[in-house]
Amino acid sequence: MALSETDKKILQRLQTNLPLTHRPFLDLAKELELDEDLIIDRVKSMIEEKYVRRLAPIINTQAVGNSATLAAMQVPEDRIEDVAEVINGYSGVSHNYLRKGKNRELPLNIWFTMSAPSQEKLEENIKEIETRTGFDVRMLPTTKKFKIGVKFKIY
Amino acid sequence: MTEDLDIKLIKYMQDGLPLTKTPYKDIADGLGMTEDAVIERLKVLLENGKIRRLAASIAHRKIGINSNAMTVWKVPSERVEECGPIMAAFEEVTHCYERPTFPGWEYNVFTMIHGYTDEECENVIESIKQKTGLDDYVMLYSEREFKKVGVRI
Repeated sequence: MALSETDKKILQRLQTNLPLTHRPFLDLAKELELDEDLIIDRVKSMIEEKYVRRLAPIINTQAVGNSATLAAMQVPEDRIEDVAEVINGYSGVSHNYLRKGKNRELPLNIWFTMSAPSQEKLEENIKEIETRTGFDVRMLPTTKKFKIGVKFKIY
Repeated sequence: MTEDLDIKLIKYMQDGLPLTKTPYKDIADGLGMTEDAVIERLKVLLENGKIRRLAASIAHRKIGINSNAMTVWKVPSERVEECGPIMAAFEEVTHCYERPTFPGWEYNVFTMIHGYTDEECENVIESIKQKTGLDDYVMLYSEREFKKVGVRI
């Protein structure tokens, strides 16, 4: 299913807060000059087709008491698959990527984010990954936050 | 008491809003609350930042935003306060954080940049360089996505 111009218009708007009203999709319809049923229908399709992962509260885990960190590892090519799999197995891991330096080479190649109910539990999980994979994990938590705001220009 | 209710509400909603004409009413019915109470709690949670946004999480790679340059910068410590907001002001920069350094790793400011193309990302990086005068950085493009799920409690 390719996205129509209407779909893109809806998608762009959906990236910011939904109206907190009795009929939020009707209010969106008025904003976007579209039909309420159409919006609901297109949202359903876009979720089914996995353009939208979910339409839900985006949670600030630290505000609800969790500890989190970015972490990086230096893993040789032949071990990347199984190390990635070990990391993925933790439900607190939300992002896990293989990265490569473009203008410079950097040895750290596996980068992931992990959240846990406490700092203790977070460090326990990290140590466990080290033990299970045989590689060090470098924790790079946030010391200062300048911005977190995921919003894409959809065109 | 309210905290437990908030957690209950977030957990109930975190997999997705009911796609009906009255989603908050439907949530209220599911939880044995009133619609007004659900809307009220959501407003509070948005205000206090426990919920960042009540919105769509978009599969950006699926819509063609495949370039993801996590760019790490070496910023002199006395310039971090000044440079952070300059970098954050760019729309394409979705995250901007200061992180610790250690022997062998001197990059202390991280900017996550998304674009449809590498060129798009690199234009932003050039602009950041111009505005800050910084020149010590590494663009760490994502080569593979092993896992990407939304945060859940």
